[in-house]
Amino acid sequence: MPGRPSDPGSEAVVPFSPEFRDPVVYPVHHGVRPPLLRVYVAWSRGSLLHLACLRQPLPEPESEDSVDEGEAGGKVVEVRLRAGEEGISEAHRRRIAYGSVPAFALLQSRKNSLMAMSRMSSSLLHGEWWQHVLEYSKNISELLGTRRLSSNMVIEDPRMVVQPSEEPTSLKAAWELMEIFYVDKQSLTWLPERLVDWSEEYDSLLTRTELTIHSKLVNMQKKLANVKVVEDDPDYWEGMSSALAVGWLDIVVKLLRFHGSYQLDQLDNRETENGLVEAVAVLVSTMPRLRPDPSSGKLGQFCKTRPDFIKAWEKWRGHLSKLERSAFWVQCSHDRTREGLQKLLKIMLGDISNITSATCHWMELLVSHLLYIRQFMVGLEGLNNLAHKCRQLKPTVHYNGLMSLLIGILEESPEVVLAECSKTFGPWMVAHGIELLTAGSDHADILLHEERYSLGGISVEELHRLVYAQILSSHPLTCQIAPTYLASCPKQGIGLLENLLYKQPIQHHQVILKNLEICRLYELDNISVNLMKIAGMYNWKHGRRGFGIYWLQLACDEVRLNRIAQQLFDCIGKSLSDDSFKQWEGLLELLGTQVGSSGGLEFLHKYRDFKRTLKQVEDGRASNAARQAAESLMQLMRSPSTPRQFWLPLLHDSVKLLNWKARPLLSVSEMNLLLNKLQDLSMGKLMLILTAAASLSALCISGRKILNVL
Amino acid sequence: MERELATLEKGAICCAWNYCGLRLAVGFVDGSISIHDSLDSGSSSSAFPSSSSKWKAHASSVLNVVWAPPECGDAIACICNDGTFSLWEETGEDTEHPTWKLCKLFESSGSRVLDLQFGVFSTSLKMVAACSDGYVKVYELLDPLEFNKWQLQAGFQNVIDSVSRFGKVSCSSASIAWNPQKGEGQRCSFVLGFSSDLPQLNSSKVWEFDEAHQRWIPVAELALPGDDSDMVHAVAWAPNIGRPFEVIAVATCKGIAMWHVVLDPESNGRLTTEKVALLPGHDGEVWQLEWDMGGMTLASTGSDGMVRLWQSNINGIWHEHASLDCSGAQS
Repeated sequence: MPGRPSDPGSEAVVPFSPEFRDPVVYPVHHGVRPPLLRVYVAWSRGSLLHLACLRQPLPEPESEDSVDEGEAGGKVVEVRLRAGEEGISEAHRRRIAYGSVPAFALLQSRKNSLMAMSRMSSSLLHGEWWQHVLEYSKNISELLGTRRLSSNMVIEDPRMVVQPSEEPTSLKAAWELMEIFYVDKQSLTWLPERLVDWSEEYDSLLTRTELTIHSKLVNMQKKLANVKVVEDDPDYWEGMSSALAVGWLDIVVKLLRFHGSYQLDQLDNRETENGLVEAVAVLVSTMPRLRPDPSSGKLGQFCKTRPDFIKAWEKWRGHLSKLERSAFWVQCSHDRTREGLQKLLKIMLGDISNITSATCHWMELLVSHLLYIRQFMVGLEGLNNLAHKCRQLKPTVHYNGLMSLLIGILEESPEVVLAECSKTFGPWMVAHGIELLTAGSDHADILLHEERYSLGGISVEELHRLVYAQILSSHPLTCQIAPTYLASCPKQGIGLLENLLYKQPIQHHQVILKNLEICRLYELDNISVNLMKIAGMYNWKHGRRGFGIYWLQLACDEVRLNRIAQQLFDCIGKSLSDDSFKQWEGLLELLGTQVGSSGGLEFLHKYRDFKRTLKQVEDGRASNAARQAAESLMQLMRSPSTPRQFWLPLLHDSVKLLNWKARPLLSVSEMNLLLNKLQDLSMGKLMLILTAAASLSALCISGRKILNVL
Repeated sequence: MERELATLEKGAICCAWNYCGLRLAVGFVDGSISIHDSLDSGSSSSAFPSSSSKWKAHASSVLNVVWAPPECGDAIACICNDGTFSLWEETGEDTEHPTWKLCKLFESSGSRVLDLQFGVFSTSLKMVAACSDGYVKVYELLDPLEFNKWQLQAGFQNVIDSVSRFGKVSCSSASIAWNPQKGEGQRCSFVLGFSSDLPQLNSSKVWEFDEAHQRWIPVAELALPGDDSDMVHAVAWAPNIGRPFEVIAVATCKGIAMWHVVLDPESNGRLTTEKVALLPGHDGEVWQLEWDMGGMTLASTGSDGMVRLWQSNINGIWHEHASLDCSGAQS
């Protein structure tokens, strides 16, 4: 049956895909009427596919039918397999791709220099390394989207508690999760607070189908706009409990201040009630928080060290208990206020049932636990168990990619993390996220850097970089950043880059120059030679012979240049016209004298020089040109490398010199040499004699003249 | 997901893309060939408009068209179902008006050519043709500038035992794939399989040119003892970007087999081969196998009208990754 793995029984070393899902079947809309004769497939750029669907040709009589008139014989379609991940537009994805190159390249160069320094062995380097990765992670994170504007940065709408800011992306949320857990070593101390911040930012992404505190607050906000007495509305109190449960203190305090008792006209009648509301608001805003940045604009009492935090916590809890037991509650006549405020106190005191009812999603419950129940928990220890319990208490029907990623992180399973990154967020995330993953745990480091025979001797990290580079090369706009990633692949990157360059079209001069520059950067001499050969042949065959020779010379393609020289040689030997002289003169200039093992080109250069001086003679210029031409002629005739096929053209040319009126240009012995050559030719071939008849008679006459003079 | 690039004229029967995927050669049932050029190589919208040139290459139907490597310029081989094949190249006095010219016509010598592939090497260009009588003919280009000067270098049958000769063989199809590796010191080798009535001929064999003795020798057979008479529908040699072994895909009636071939010959001159997977392939005959440029994904097409993409996971287990359904009557 199609779609089943080749060997499902074999023991999986790494459960990358624990089970083989049935392959996704994409219907291709090509518009060709079945039955199809055949489907042809070819890989285009990167991972693009070209398909040609050919129609079964109909028998002749039928094809004459009007029905089939004009119907195509087939269609060619391009198929892009990976559609946009998580609703990110193509343009945004390209921006991310381009933007992440500098950070990635910097990290790789740092890694290389650190490795060179000490072979990456000491723990000192490890300590230093995570800071580099953190910087990289921050750069990438910035690229993925700006943080939600904090409330004091916008013009405040008094009734606005949840800012309707830019929709956060799952990609950024996922990236930040990985940063929190894998890279930022300091963050492990204040992990609960990092998670509070994270959930505040991305709560809306926890689930698309079920209720979250964020969606609850958004609904409540809409409702509050039309409600005059908010404290009578149960949603008001419920919203506050929920916000408090996940530590969104700003929102809670802001909501508390909407309480009717704050209104000037009611302040006198509801003094005690207002006192209680304000007392709770003060306690909420003074909640001790173990976080490093008191300047974050968040509410709370910030503690940098654990002992300070524990001390402050005990004190704060004392205040809470005191307020809970206070006698003032009896005097509070507004039931909903009393109950609502007491519920808030209970949440802050860590009452599990109130916390559970105030939260919607298991992740929110987890954050609540970390804030109010397990506030002294250190690091990741026990976090997974806690998350497991939360999932049991708040079961989710559908785990989205982000949540699956979080579970993978909590379960400390890099395989699951990688698989989720790949499945939900695509090859960009995997290629870049691996840096975070390997910085985070030695297990992941070994797992992802280990070279595997089954992968052809490369590591999982390299595999994912290759896949990403291939995706990049699918689009001409991102193709040029693929080499950066390929260069970071120690084993197979260069091989893929070579294949990528070889598949580039060479019709455009600019494209060739760009590709040759890449070859130069990565020292791919053999590929640049190959590209130049291809460009040379293309130009040579398409009528741009000069360009052809230029590229072949750059490629040092002796074989082809020799053949060109030979062709030129044969062509010149046959033709004597001045027009052809002009044509081959330029090519000869380009070819230079080095080409041609037989010295043929050297001869052609001398022949060209002779022809040039002869031209001056014909134009009637300078008599020393005539003397020079005669000397060149004699040199050529004496040289053993002068091919026999050129004797006759040379003898023909000599007539012009013999007829030089000013003075004789050739001596007796030189004359004899010419006559001997003529004799040789005439003895060699009868045909030549016939064709040389005119030359012969002219030569003889001139010769006699000269001899007479002498 | 899909984008239409071109409409082919009625009677199109086969096609092939050139090395960079920007030119498409189409063969027709009436013996003509047309070339479609992509509009712009630089942009993402590289659609192929109507053909830039079309000419009559043969009197009867074209069987297959094959592009020559770019090292020869723009040239194609056209196999005709009358058994002949011809070589054509695009030349011109200026780049604006190039024309396709016949370089050489190889007449039929009693047998039909079934498949033909070019292999490019540092010193020469070779062309291997598989014929219906089970013979393989290897030609060499004598002059790298002239696409018409070919010399027959060798002719042999696709059998391991080089002494035996089989007459009266009838082959219906053949598939050839050169080792795509380029560069210095590369071995000159190809894999070839037949669909014929002679079991010995069918199984895919890797042939390598022995420089020392100037002859072609079979260095590996890609079939297990029980399967060696299976008819071979298609073979494809994966580009190797740095693996310590070669990967060759062979499609037979039993499915698509993945072979690992280690090119370091052992003492007896044979290569070590291992069949690492047998994929179910298609419901029906496999038409074509194509590797991507990294040799990581194999695309196959078959008579079920599907294009299937095969990948190996990180444990080296091959599986079907995705498939494209082209069989439907979508409009």
